[in-house]
Amino acid sequence: MAEHWQALAAPAEAGREKDTAPDDFAGLVRRHQAMVYSIAWHFLHDRGLAEEVAQEVFLRLHRELGALESPDHVVLWLRRVTCHRALDRWRRRRREEISLEEAGELASAPQECDPLLEDRLRKLVASLPPKWRAMVILRYQEDLQPAEIAQVLNIPVGTVKSGLQRALATLREKIRRSMGGPEQ
Amino acid sequence: MNWEQELRAALRRHEPPAGFAERVLERAATESAAPVRRRRPWLRWCAVAASLALLAAGGYQYRERRLRGEEARDQLLEALRVTEAKLELVRKRLNRTSGAAHLETRQESRI
Repeated sequence: MAEHWQALAAPAEAGREKDTAPDDFAGLVRRHQAMVYSIAWHFLHDRGLAEEVAQEVFLRLHRELGALESPDHVVLWLRRVTCHRALDRWRRRRREEISLEEAGELASAPQECDPLLEDRLRKLVASLPPKWRAMVILRYQEDLQPAEIAQVLNIPVGTVKSGLQRALATLREKIRRSMGGPEQ
Repeated sequence: MNWEQELRAALRRHEPPAGFAERVLERAATESAAPVRRRRPWLRWCAVAASLALLAAGGYQYRERRLRGEEARDQLLEALRVTEAKLELVRKRLNRTSGAAHLETRQESRI
């Protein structure tokens, strides 16, 4: 079993993960915790819930690790299960959608690495319909191509492409309206 | 505004709160230490067999009751038929008796 853990804990994606060399489940958690936690956080926009979801995902990984065959499989599995868990949790919560009003007004025009704009964008992403949200997070947080997103979410590539286009258009429109831009 | 850059910056990865990995490992250890519930496939078959037995017993009882009901209905119909025959007999006798009495009365009046 220990060899299986070691094999799975090997780096899956060059350049994306830390260069630690874990040899057990702890190593897997440390290697992938930022990915799992960030997907959940960007999805739910709630740090407490994101940690809960991330913990559940890793506990499930602990139980089902025997069924996973390679480091790439582990990463795909983690992304898929995190998206589904976050979606489930969001549906359960669903008490309030983050609206533009809650996102607040920008004090000034956006600049490069504007923390206010970044916060606004995160909130706007969290206000997208869940499927689009998952696509945007996987595209821009995980840097996945549409085909890879389709694999994670188990949907056709065409759906991913059109979903991403519509999600970006929605985000653009919302940010333009919040900044008081001209009507198109 | 370069949307791709803005979104990548906004959605970059973040480390979870301090102690996250330790908390996960602790929960995993607790879960591993908990007694594992052994699966007993025969238990499921027993439950299925018990359900089938209950179903069969219920069906048998239903059938018995229906047969008994039909039997009681047949007996009642037979009893009604016998009663009807008896009543018909009585009616005929009454007719005959009243007819004879009427004839006697007419003969007496002629005399």
